[in-house]
Amino acid sequence: MSAAEVLLSLRDVTRRFGGVAALDGVSFDVRTHEILGVIGPNGAGKTTLLNCISGVHRLDGGEITLDGRPLGGLPPHRVARLGVGRTFQIVKPFGSMTVRENAAVGALFGSSDARLPTRRAFAHADEVLALVGLAPKRQLPVASLTVPDRKRLEVARALCTMPRLLLLDEVMAGLNAVEVDEALDMVRAVHASGVTIVLIEHVMPVILGVCERVVVLHLGRHLAEGRPVDVLKDPRVVEAYLGEKYASRHRGD
Amino acid sequence: MNWTEQVVLGLLLGGVYVAVGLGFSLVWGVLNIVNLAYGAMVMIGGYVTWLLFAHAGIDPFIGIPINVAILFGIGYTLQYVVINRVVRAPFLYTFLITFGLDLVIVNALLLVFKADFRSVNTWYSGAAFSVGPVLVPYIRLWSLVVAAALAAVMWWILNRTRTGDAIQAVGADRDAAQLVGISLPRTYALTFGLGAACAGVAGALIVTYQAVTPTAGEPYTLQAFVVVILGGLGRVSATVVGGMLFGLVQVLAQGAPHIGAGYQNAIAFGVLVLVLLLRPQGLLGRTV
Amino acid sequence: MAAQPDPDLDTGQTAAFAVATPAAARRERILLAAAAIAVVLLVLVPLTSTDQAQSAGLPQLVDRYWFRVATTMAMFVVISAAWNLIGGLAGYPAFGNVVYFGIGAYAVAVLVTRYQWSFAAALGASVVVPAAFAGLIGVPLLRLRGHYFAVASLGVAVAVGEVINNLDYFGGASGIFMPIVRSDLLFYYLMLGAALLAVAITWVVLRTRFGYGLIAIREDEGAAAVIGVNTTLYKVAAYALSAALTGLAGGIYAQWNVFVNQDVAFNIDVSIDSILMALIGGIGTIWGPVIGAVVLEFLIQTFAGRGDLAVVTQIGLGLVLTVAVIFLPRGVVDFFGGRSSLTLAYVRRTLRASGV
Repeated sequence: MSAAEVLLSLRDVTRRFGGVAALDGVSFDVRTHEILGVIGPNGAGKTTLLNCISGVHRLDGGEITLDGRPLGGLPPHRVARLGVGRTFQIVKPFGSMTVRENAAVGALFGSSDARLPTRRAFAHADEVLALVGLAPKRQLPVASLTVPDRKRLEVARALCTMPRLLLLDEVMAGLNAVEVDEALDMVRAVHASGVTIVLIEHVMPVILGVCERVVVLHLGRHLAEGRPVDVLKDPRVVEAYLGEKYASRHRGD
Repeated sequence: MNWTEQVVLGLLLGGVYVAVGLGFSLVWGVLNIVNLAYGAMVMIGGYVTWLLFAHAGIDPFIGIPINVAILFGIGYTLQYVVINRVVRAPFLYTFLITFGLDLVIVNALLLVFKADFRSVNTWYSGAAFSVGPVLVPYIRLWSLVVAAALAAVMWWILNRTRTGDAIQAVGADRDAAQLVGISLPRTYALTFGLGAACAGVAGALIVTYQAVTPTAGEPYTLQAFVVVILGGLGRVSATVVGGMLFGLVQVLAQGAPHIGAGYQNAIAFGVLVLVLLLRPQGLLGRTV
Repeated sequence: MAAQPDPDLDTGQTAAFAVATPAAARRERILLAAAAIAVVLLVLVPLTSTDQAQSAGLPQLVDRYWFRVATTMAMFVVISAAWNLIGGLAGYPAFGNVVYFGIGAYAVAVLVTRYQWSFAAALGASVVVPAAFAGLIGVPLLRLRGHYFAVASLGVAVAVGEVINNLDYFGGASGIFMPIVRSDLLFYYLMLGAALLAVAITWVVLRTRFGYGLIAIREDEGAAAVIGVNTTLYKVAAYALSAALTGLAGGIYAQWNVFVNQDVAFNIDVSIDSILMALIGGIGTIWGPVIGAVVLEFLIQTFAGRGDLAVVTQIGLGLVLTVAVIFLPRGVVDFFGGRSSLTLAYVRRTLRASGV
């Protein structure tokens, strides 16, 4: 794997809260234009990982580089400027704006490719909203959206920033099977438009359905990495999720 | 005035500040309400004590329980009927509503009592006793004792009773508290009533050594701010520390050679702004 | 399928960008036309009191009292609209903005009386000096949120006022007397011009990236940051802009009132009144501060009295404030924008969303 293929690189990333290490020496690469899944039981540090990449948290150790450029210490808006977009697990829409305005704000700011003047920002927002399937609702106030639609809006807004790398934090949480399918289509469409995606998920069919590779975190540490099919059979991963007793029973000890 | 005298007086003054700060801190820390009418409530307390003294001959310290009851009732009603209407709105609205209440209370007091200064002069008002080189007025001593008792009572209510549990629960997570069956409107009203009762006690203490007039309440709201921000929100111990410290700062600043009396307020607010910028959670508070 | 409006997202702020239906667009055009006519009248009608108009036989339509009230209303439009930028748009409710009024007023007073600057030049300073001060303290101050920010800004106002009150350079407690300039017309037009400027600036801000960024900060500062808004820069810029406008009002006031001291220039009531005006009219909107300033100042003037009547007026004002906060948190503009109408259902919804 040549250096040109790596978009985001984490080396020994450590983040502590008080005395507890939420992330402890995590290292892995994100390849350009891949869809990388990040999984792990609750408390594994997945959201903390996203927060460190997007500049919300400072690193206590290690280094994160985007296309060779170190991200350490940069405030969130600078990281966004460099082309990193993200969604939040609990969506954060701008409540008093319409759907269209929410998305457009992403295009008004965002990466250096974005920062469009007002009219073009709104035009771009319309395109992106069509991509995620929110076009018919774009004039509605955000307050009238259903939960799945708010998640779509969250993705749309991040996408409007024209990122090279998009971090999705549990976009599928709380969706029923039909909604998950629709969301999967949306993720594929976003990916097809040229964006590298890092996807935190709990819903395994999603990981299996759309991720080429998966990284497993456990208690802040990098546990395993590889193709979803292989990783999910890895006994260490099973043990991490289901506990030692079940794992050993399952293995037939 | 030498050092020891200053320190002792500072501590005595600090007692009053503790009383002033307790009600304010409770309401702000738990209900997230900054009560701009607090100073006016302190004045109500002063007037109640004065009325009891001037018309019924009741000693200001002995009359405190009556004071507490009246102010608690006023506070409870105000919260239940008026302030409860905006507690879920952005805090700007509670800020403004308490300002409106302040306008109403101060001017109602002006209407009833006029702007004359009232004070309470008991037979022991001027008396003092000596502790070494320092002359300690009895009034100040009783005030400190009452303030300490108030702090102890408040701590006990908040930490050792079911009511206190409910109050702290509401302060920690309003919706969760509701889910376990705590009545929000009543708990809010109770908390505000307790805060008002503390204001009443503060007023009773103040009127023994200072004259009260309806418009004299504002400085006490501002002082309560400083006490709370110095010490930290919500916890009785934090308010005690903040009050004592502020008392010391005030006395020392007044006695300092280059600083005139006019700078008193500026110093108080300079301290306030500095603390907010450097350590907004105060000395004992939790991280903001 | 549209779900029920989510009360958790109903932030109580009037949408700065109303949903563009044809009816709403038409309503906006009518309002703009009405506003334009009003401005023309406001500019032309007072001219009937000039000597030229009098000698031409025109009836004098306005008297001294009218000038005084109108100028005061215009002044509060400026202060309220300025507050609206940092408190309404950005969501950082500053309670001590009167400090910039005072700095602006004293800048004019000192420069004119001590250094013989012209009033015009001094007005320039009354814009720049407060803005610079705000830019300086804004960086640490705007790191605070909610209550803490409000209290800190209040503390700054009190502290600066007290310091100025104690320094002889500023005239101490006796203040500074300006050379007398008698002209109702001049100060009326100056304040009117400042008011129009303030409204125009708000209008422009709300149409540009700056305005969207501020509202994003208000709605969710964390989300705003990760989509690329430089939150510190934007907040401080809004704060400095509001300081500049407020300072301008103070500078004009200094010459109009001829006298400045701490009570006059650093009066906290000015801050509170201006916030109340923005509230009544509609926080975060363009016309809210205008409507609020006119309505509240009208109420204050109408019911001002002496002795006991003054006290009763204040009680009335307090009650108005209380009622407005409870029943009309989004302000009057909400009803003009086509979003809501004043019905019992609206009131009930508001109470349920705000109360417990």
